[in-house]
Amino acid sequence: MSNVQQEIFEIIAKQAKIDIATIKADSTLKDLGVASLDAIEVIFDIEEHFNINLPNEDTDFEAGTVGHLVDAVQRQITLKGNS
Amino acid sequence: MRRIVITGMGAICALGHNATDTWQGMVEGRSGIDTIHHVDASLLRNNPVAAEVTDFDPTQYIDEARLPFLDPMSQYALVAANEAIAQSGLDVRNGRTAVVTGVGVGGEETREGLYKKLYADKAGRFHPLGIVRIMSNAPASQISMAHGITGPTFTVASACASSNHAIAQAALMMRAGIVDAAVVGGTEACLTLGLLRAWEAMRVLSPDTCRPFSINRRGIVLGEGSAMFVLETLESAQARGATILAELVGVGMSADAGDIAAPSEIGAAAAITAALQDANMQPAEVDYINAHGTGTAANDCTETAAIHRVFGEHARKLAISSTKPMHGHALGAAGALELIAVIGALRHGIVPPTLNYLGPDPACDLDYVPLDARRMPVNAAVSNSFAFGGLNAVVALRRVP
Repeated sequence: MSNVQQEIFEIIAKQAKIDIATIKADSTLKDLGVASLDAIEVIFDIEEHFNINLPNEDTDFEAGTVGHLVDAVQRQITLKGNS
Repeated sequence: MRRIVITGMGAICALGHNATDTWQGMVEGRSGIDTIHHVDASLLRNNPVAAEVTDFDPTQYIDEARLPFLDPMSQYALVAANEAIAQSGLDVRNGRTAVVTGVGVGGEETREGLYKKLYADKAGRFHPLGIVRIMSNAPASQISMAHGITGPTFTVASACASSNHAIAQAALMMRAGIVDAAVVGGTEACLTLGLLRAWEAMRVLSPDTCRPFSINRRGIVLGEGSAMFVLETLESAQARGATILAELVGVGMSADAGDIAAPSEIGAAAAITAALQDANMQPAEVDYINAHGTGTAANDCTETAAIHRVFGEHARKLAISSTKPMHGHALGAAGALELIAVIGALRHGIVPPTLNYLGPDPACDLDYVPLDARRMPVNAAVSNSFAFGGLNAVVALRRVP
């Protein structure tokens, strides 16, 4: 598991108050019981943690999986590194 | 029970500085959404669009001695109230008239401007008129002062449902015999950097435009402005030969008691049902619904489900439109600006369209009058407002022959 993925899973586990082992790359935040403003707060915590901005397109709370979220964060970290 | 009619209306928003221009913009399907000028666009994350009031010179409308006391939310409220009272011709200078204004957030332009001086610029002095400009009751007070109205006067705050809650309060006071008339509506001036960033952070601001009920809708676009109305009894209006714009026949309110932000089909349906029952109106009588229709994923499918729940098979016969792509989402002023659309539909037999519609979303499967206004008889109409906090308020109106 990459560090980025590990850190994202930790943030989600803390917010959702669930065991980190239950989070899989193909779970959606909704599957994990993180909905509505809680999901938006998770994204905010991730943005703060990595000091990045995640565009709305990368935060599909209905269909987007945790794996997609990890990819999106990786992309923003790479973009930041290049700028 | 006393019958309540509307004999005056006034408005200011991105479509114009009076009710006539606002209604004309709605019929033409004009959008007031444009690049934002109120704040430095480079400080926003999203594409900086809003439905702003433009080319507005308050000195054309308001006594210059009064202006230093007025945040834009109060300026807009006065412009709209002056127009409504003038059109009505009713004598409101008495203690039997109420003023009830819906305000979602308050005098934010003043608050942010003064706080920036305090926190960022470390200014040593705070402007002494800060409090009287910022307070949410300022618009109600300013209308009362400008027109000598000495009856019950206050502001109602329920975020995006404030206007409809205000209209309900005024109507219920009239029915209870506490007052004989009311100046009522909503006002908001919410296009500040702090509020725009706060809405962005909730991820509900659209990065392109407002497309209610459409596939690929991406959120709300904020607007600003005010609309005000004069309510009086049918008896009073007939006795003085006043032009009656519409009859306010029902109000309905409910709370979801659920999520602080996510809307509820059941809560929304309860408010619509309450308004219809209060109006003694059968669901099948309704021709037009001015929807809350914010353009968010959550609102539009929840509202559609609520309409199905209340109207059953008649839902498919309803003309439903959201006028927010034209005047933006003006929060506490939303229901009042949308009442201009409802009154226009009832009086002129024209339903304003839902602009920017790209195609059907499977979860939004009703007739949203896409893109172009529709000529059709409208005898009965409903206007929905559903707020963050799970607070719902709906009004029902009938055409006056």
